[in-house]
Amino acid sequence: MTRRAALFVLALAAIAVFAPALAPYDPATAHRGYLSAPPMPPRITDASGWRAPFIYPVVLADRLAQRYEEDRARTQPLPWYAADEVAPAFLIGADSFGRDLLSRLLFGARATIGLSLAATLVALLLGTLIGGLAGYRGGWIDEAAMRLADFVMVLPIIYVVLVLRALLPLVLPASVIFTLMTVIFALVGWPFVARGVRGIVSGERTRDYVVAARSLGAAGPRIFVRHLLPACAGYLMAQATLLLPAFILAEATLSYVGLGFPESVPTWGTMLVESADVNVMTRFPWMLAPAVAIFFVVLSANVILRSGKIERSLT
Amino acid sequence: MNRQSRALLTIVIVAIILIPYAYCARGRDEAPPSALAPPPTEQPTRGGTLIATARSEPRSFNRVASRDFPTELFATLTQGRLVRVNRQTQEIEPWLAEKWTTSDDGRSFTLTLRDGVVWSDGIPFTSADVLFTFQAVYDEAVGSHYTSTFRVAGKPLTVTAPDARTVVITYPAPFAPGIRQLDNLTLLPKHKLEAALTAGTLAKAWTAATPPAELVSIGPFMLTRYEPGQRLVYERNPRYWRRDAQGQQLPYLDQIVIEIIPEQDTEMVRLQAGQVDFGQQQLRATDIAGMRTLAAQGKLQLLDLGVSTDPDSFFFNLRAKQWANDPRGAWLPRKEFRQAISHAVDREAFAETVFLGEAVPIHGPVTPGNTRWFWPNIPRYEYSVEKARALLEGLGLKNRDQDEWLEDDNGTEARFTLQTFRGSSILERSAAVLRDDLQKIGIAVDVVALEANTVISRMLEGQFEAVWMAFQGDLDPALNKDYWLSSGTAHVWNLNQQTPATDWERQIDELMTQQASVADESERKRIFNDVQRIFSEHLPILHFATPRLYLAVTPRVVNLQLAQSRPQLLWSPDTLAIRGGGRPAS
Amino acid sequence: MSIGRYLLRRALVALLLVFVVSSGTLLLTRLAPGDSATDAGLASDPAQRARLRGELGLDRPLGAQYLDWLAGALRFDLGWSVVFSRPVADLLSERALNTAVLASVALVGATAVGVPLGLYTGAHASGFGPGLVRTLSVVILSVPPLLGSLFFMLFAARTGWLPVGGMTSSVLADSGWMTWAIDLARHIPLPALALALPLAATLEQLQSQAIRESLREPFVRAAQARGLTFSQALRHHAWRVSLAPVLGLYGLMIGSLFSGSFAVEVVTGWPGLGRLMFDALRARDLYLVTGCAAAGACFIALGTLTADVMLVAADPRRRMGDLR
Repeated sequence: MTRRAALFVLALAAIAVFAPALAPYDPATAHRGYLSAPPMPPRITDASGWRAPFIYPVVLADRLAQRYEEDRARTQPLPWYAADEVAPAFLIGADSFGRDLLSRLLFGARATIGLSLAATLVALLLGTLIGGLAGYRGGWIDEAAMRLADFVMVLPIIYVVLVLRALLPLVLPASVIFTLMTVIFALVGWPFVARGVRGIVSGERTRDYVVAARSLGAAGPRIFVRHLLPACAGYLMAQATLLLPAFILAEATLSYVGLGFPESVPTWGTMLVESADVNVMTRFPWMLAPAVAIFFVVLSANVILRSGKIERSLT
Repeated sequence: MNRQSRALLTIVIVAIILIPYAYCARGRDEAPPSALAPPPTEQPTRGGTLIATARSEPRSFNRVASRDFPTELFATLTQGRLVRVNRQTQEIEPWLAEKWTTSDDGRSFTLTLRDGVVWSDGIPFTSADVLFTFQAVYDEAVGSHYTSTFRVAGKPLTVTAPDARTVVITYPAPFAPGIRQLDNLTLLPKHKLEAALTAGTLAKAWTAATPPAELVSIGPFMLTRYEPGQRLVYERNPRYWRRDAQGQQLPYLDQIVIEIIPEQDTEMVRLQAGQVDFGQQQLRATDIAGMRTLAAQGKLQLLDLGVSTDPDSFFFNLRAKQWANDPRGAWLPRKEFRQAISHAVDREAFAETVFLGEAVPIHGPVTPGNTRWFWPNIPRYEYSVEKARALLEGLGLKNRDQDEWLEDDNGTEARFTLQTFRGSSILERSAAVLRDDLQKIGIAVDVVALEANTVISRMLEGQFEAVWMAFQGDLDPALNKDYWLSSGTAHVWNLNQQTPATDWERQIDELMTQQASVADESERKRIFNDVQRIFSEHLPILHFATPRLYLAVTPRVVNLQLAQSRPQLLWSPDTLAIRGGGRPAS
Repeated sequence: MSIGRYLLRRALVALLLVFVVSSGTLLLTRLAPGDSATDAGLASDPAQRARLRGELGLDRPLGAQYLDWLAGALRFDLGWSVVFSRPVADLLSERALNTAVLASVALVGATAVGVPLGLYTGAHASGFGPGLVRTLSVVILSVPPLLGSLFFMLFAARTGWLPVGGMTSSVLADSGWMTWAIDLARHIPLPALALALPLAATLEQLQSQAIRESLREPFVRAAQARGLTFSQALRHHAWRVSLAPVLGLYGLMIGSLFSGSFAVEVVTGWPGLGRLMFDALRARDLYLVTGCAAAGACFIALGTLTADVMLVAADPRRRMGDLR
């Protein structure tokens, strides 16, 4: 199972890297006659038997209801093989702008996974350092670090973003947005890590093996890395499984106050929040596809991190 | 993981993959959309509770200090005015003034107040209340939003009261709308608020924290309970003056509850569940189809409010200051640039994409919904990529390199930033359509969707290149001077000018002043057509389509009088009724 | 250190936190674009907006305004809300109570479900049951709160089992205490579920991880070797040890729950602190935003304190001296 999850993650990384080649359409192109078009599943059989994969195109039946009907009289090849002038083929449906969901999901993998992974790693690193130091040294360092954590958690981060937004130019390149968001997420996320790590370290440091190591003359950093950090490994893994989905979803919140990626860079979080609508849930459920994608990513992260392999390699 | 959990996981994954395909386009049976049924007319019964909604909470119960929707609704339900504009027919109706005469020069109106009208605490309503209201309107310390509305040619109206039932209102200059304007003015109870005005604290009187018992009423209802964050409960005012044709005292309803529902999706769900009778706003385009199905099943009434009179506005910043040091200043603020854009947008496709076809193409700020002022012969910019390209070429914009965008002589790209509200699907979709259409003629648009307050504050400070937003105006152009006049507060492309920045703005200023002072209706229309012609040549605001509006109402609400502007039904709260006078199922 | 002195010191630190957070918020809100006067928008001219700013004290230097606010805050006068034209302190206490009701139910529910399930999945590495729980908890964590709340609303509307949104019904307003309580109880499950599910999933994940680690502890193994059954060892030894990381986060949960969730409260129409903050933010209601942030800081401080005290009470290896 772990191996399969790891394979999935590798496949995902490949998807993210090769999204431009894999995606059948440009993720930002709106196909006007196909708002909220339903999935057109690939087929390999028709009345005459087996044939090369194809789809049935859809035609608009009711514009107001955004209802489409399959045109069984015509068939067309999958989008990758289709000539330019054929009607678009949305394998998993289109969003309310008529953009291909599959292409958006594939492209979205880049920003979403890149951002959430980077932010999770930085947050874990920061949290471990600060929490570890607080737990190991105790005293005023502990006090200061923990109150700083409290402060960060209470500060209405939306205002920080609003102020930032006002100071920065209106149109930002995607790379700047990526860096900014990583920094913001890491700054918001570390206290959650730090509190747990501090709890574990302050519990461990009085225990026999640590005391023994210290009496044998081991230096602080060495004890920390060799003995205390491994004790936190499991907790850090669990935190990673929690921060990852939280960051994927939080990206959409930042977009709301204006620090999001431009439209041409789709992300799963924004796609999902855009589809948080009663009509979507009742009539166009395929737009919840990003939730499924997020589910798989979080699931494989869980399987890998809970398997303990990484944890054991640390200890 | 062992075998069972693997099996389970497989089931979950397969289910997740397959579920969307259950919704594929295969022949689904849906009730055919039925034609809209006209609102049923029947003799209303007395009694019953109506449940309506508001998106936000009242900022205050003081109509002089606040003009947000819940405050306005409070005033409509509980307060009074001298005359009323019937929102359905647009005619002026006698209200607390039962009749009036106009002087020969058309500047002076003598109004006779209705006899025997009392406030809900039993104190008679007299001309002193009217005088007091005008005193508050012009009071410096109050700083009311009414002050500028009730200034004509920069001077206040003169109001006198020869006796307790007579009020004489004299305009300082000829003013075509005349007492139509008084529909807007909520009268204040002198006996309750005089002390506050004297003390200079009227702006802070009747706040949202004032106990409902202290708020006297002269309208059909009285506020009896305010549960913050949840609802306002209005009960019948037993001392209300109006009776129906049969002589029965109004209102028909015993109670109106305004549920505060901050989210439109939630409002829709509650409406479909029959827990509220109608929503605050017209339906979103995406909701209409679902409501139509429910209407065909008899679960809701779907009411056609006609074509919207307030189209969304897309405009560039035309302040000279914005473009003075910008390399694009030579061509971006020019009218040819905007004309090219107007030619480049396919309005039919725009209506189909943004409003799902429930919209009509328009070419100016006055829509066919505004029957009195709409000018069908306004010059049109037909969809023509060639004409758009030619206009841009005339500005020196050509494709001079390998990319798809145009450049000017200096190599500056034809590109601008468009700000719009985040979370408004209509605006975000409009911006996307515009971006695609302009891409075809080589103009790049960077769409930036921001939270509303940020956009407005940037707009007020003139920090924008282009904005797409919605705002409301009055149907009568003379009452929209803040929009038309170059000195106006809603003259969005160049706010609050000291003197008109351009010749055409000066012309519009003169024509608008002139048309506000002419009494003859057809002359006014002719002048306003001229204004529309100038507007369409210079296109300070571009319009592409305006939606057709619908409202969904539960079947138990009867005696409906539809209006397009908010509140679409509650503008006439005393005649609304519930079939059989019952409560909703909760 | 005696418990009394410890609590006193923590209370002082908490006060400092509230002070720093509210100052920071006031500053940020002033720096952010737009203010209460922009809200009047196109309906007002620059003179009117300047006047309004003058009335609200927004035209004064930040320092002077801040000192005034501080002086007021010391007398529990948190300023005036422009949006609601009411004192901020009244609004806060009213809404905090509503949120507290909801948060308590959600917290108890999430704990009652999440912790036992975490013990279960932590103690059983494989099997159909743990697999199901783990998959469900991942599903829940993949759904944003906005979507979750909407889903429950739709569910309530379709089934008719629960009222759709709101905190009480208008119909039952003056019909006695019992009816009111029953009515409230019917309205709570929907927003409480939307709040509690992600929390329960989070607790499950943390508890599960922690219990697996503590089961590897030598003294738990020793207990088993002494003849305790697996479940006895779990209950008497492993669980208590595993609490440290869970409690570390528990404090934060309490804090953020009691500060109110904006997604859940806005969608389900619960008149709580989260929605108040949302309204204040949209209108740039300076003092109200600051007040909400201060309330949030109070709850976080209380939450972390509770968690730290519980930590010491739970883990026999710690002593009072570990309290920080």
